[in-house]
Amino acid sequence: MKNMKKGLALLLAGIMVLGMTACGAKEETPAAAPEPAKTEAPAKAETPAPAATDAAAPADSAIPADVNGDGKITIGYISKNLVDPFHAPINAAAQEIFDQMKKDGKIDDWTGILDGETDPNKQIDRADECITKNCDMVIILPAEATASDPAVTKMADAGIHVIVVNSKTDSTDKVAVSYCGSDDVYAGELLAKWVIEQVPDGGKYAHCQGIIGNSAQIQRGEGLANTMKDHPEFESVGDFPCDWAADKAANVATDMMNKYGDDLKAIICDNDDMSSAAQRACNDAGRKDIVCVGVDGNQKPLEMVKAGEMGATVLQDGVGQVKAAVSVIDAIIAGQSFEKENIVPFVLVTKDNVDQYLK
Amino acid sequence: MAVKEEKKVLGVDRDKFRMFMGKYGIGVVLFIMIIVISIMEPAFRSAKNFINVATQVSINGMISYGMCLVITTGGIDLSVGAQLALVSCILGQFITNFGVNPFLACLIALLASTAFGFLNGFFVARFNMFPFVVTLSTQLIIRGLAQVISGGNAIPLTSETFQHIYSSKVGPIPLPIVILFVVTVIVYIMLHWTKFGRYIFAVGGNVHAAIASGVSEFWTKVGAYTISGLLAGIAGIIFTAKTSSAQSNIGIGYETDAVAACVLGGTSFAGGVATIPGVVMGIFIIGFIYNGMNLIGIESYYQSMTKGAVIIGAVLLDMVLNRKKG
Repeated sequence: MKNMKKGLALLLAGIMVLGMTACGAKEETPAAAPEPAKTEAPAKAETPAPAATDAAAPADSAIPADVNGDGKITIGYISKNLVDPFHAPINAAAQEIFDQMKKDGKIDDWTGILDGETDPNKQIDRADECITKNCDMVIILPAEATASDPAVTKMADAGIHVIVVNSKTDSTDKVAVSYCGSDDVYAGELLAKWVIEQVPDGGKYAHCQGIIGNSAQIQRGEGLANTMKDHPEFESVGDFPCDWAADKAANVATDMMNKYGDDLKAIICDNDDMSSAAQRACNDAGRKDIVCVGVDGNQKPLEMVKAGEMGATVLQDGVGQVKAAVSVIDAIIAGQSFEKENIVPFVLVTKDNVDQYLK
Repeated sequence: MAVKEEKKVLGVDRDKFRMFMGKYGIGVVLFIMIIVISIMEPAFRSAKNFINVATQVSINGMISYGMCLVITTGGIDLSVGAQLALVSCILGQFITNFGVNPFLACLIALLASTAFGFLNGFFVARFNMFPFVVTLSTQLIIRGLAQVISGGNAIPLTSETFQHIYSSKVGPIPLPIVILFVVTVIVYIMLHWTKFGRYIFAVGGNVHAAIASGVSEFWTKVGAYTISGLLAGIAGIIFTAKTSSAQSNIGIGYETDAVAACVLGGTSFAGGVATIPGVVMGIFIIGFIYNGMNLIGIESYYQSMTKGAVIIGAVLLDMVLNRKKG
């Protein structure tokens, strides 16, 4: 009995320690943070102290880049998500650029990569936090055209310079200071044109869609349908919702090969995670002749293009888009003029130019 | 029993300390969290930010209460995320495309989600099917229905009356907080003060004993799932008013945050144990985790890991302090 009690006491102690470590992630930083926290509190009334050591800071505050007049330039970054192969390099590029800008004293602070979780509801919550954190300029990569729009309008109403990247929300043209992105309808047209070029005689094709309702899914599908409309030699065997997921597209590929055999000529996908998986499924089934193509220019599809396992992929220069947004921020800080709309073009990547884009 | 040991924790008698922590442990975790984040990030402790968080958690809050009732009967409701999508698409179709009065449309949407809640309960209670299986299946059916209704498109909701459900305020308090408060009070009274609430505990705690003492297992379970459907419907309305867009791909994975809030609040997966004040604290812990980590600037890549660790740590702490099992 006594042993049991001892054991229990030990366990209890262990749990307490665990409880501490659970909060440890939070407590670590205060150990490092007290300095700014302490100096800031008394200094608050006089001047925004932390920036005062930086000689450039007072000059900065005179520029309209500091919209809320707190003497600091704070940048917000609301990502679409952290998990898509397309978005990971964009976020990584933003992380590097803004960390550097902060180190150089160009900006005073930034929020870090805020996770939008591909969820408009969460993006609106992140927008609230950017407002709370007194951000002056916020980059947002919207999850949805309509549903993420309140995030953009909310921040614009708070006076923040919103820069929309990658895809537009409904009132982007009206309230955002700039848009940096690409035209998804054009991407859909490129997909169709590549297939038409590769299979001049026409035939049956399948279309693997992204998550239904995403603006990229809708617009790429629109471009595809627009182009295919004028080519009666092609017949769609169906649009399959694959949620941007590679495995689902591979399943569609095998199913359609079984169903249509040699009549199936092409599989067109809304992104190239799906098209590369579909192509692999076709190649494995000995059907290298099936043309699979998609949009994004992710690493794996590019490698497949280089290895000759896949004909082409349509590259969307996501990093280019976010860099365009950064140059807008640079211009605002420097008090220069900038483009309201920066269209970063899609590129058809084939064996001829793949080396340019493959890292 | 050997010698009575006198141990003190933080200067308090150990047993008293344990009793205190058992009852309010999760509240202490919440309190510590608020203090720590406040020290680290001045922007966190503004009244505006607290109102923000309370507004943000209103959606998860609704879902969590329903989830709590269902878990307390020994079940689980995985269909709530899809319910959001269904409600959203019904609202979009009726308000934007048919021009129906927003309030009537809300009523129709709530009826639909409640009906699906009833269906969940019916299958679980009548055929004794596993709640996990039933709600996993209805989740697919409900989301599919939402896709059929919307045709996969996003339907913009421009009706200002409808958007006001999210944006209007009662004094300084946004309407979603008021709704959350009212629902909290109602659910609290229902679970802790009424016969139906005691039946829920009874069915979840020991179903045979409950039946033997004349409790209707069928109606208790059906009631719990139906209420879960209704509350998910309310969450769907708030969600749709917030994003002012109706679409079928929303609410994916929302059941996990709801389950997390429930277990943080001391709801037992074995059934029969739950408190609404606990769930309220669970809801706010989840809300503050997101909000606080973002304001402090913890890298997003570490956030979900931290969230998982906090949940496990808090539940473990709670369990050991209460010497509860499962």
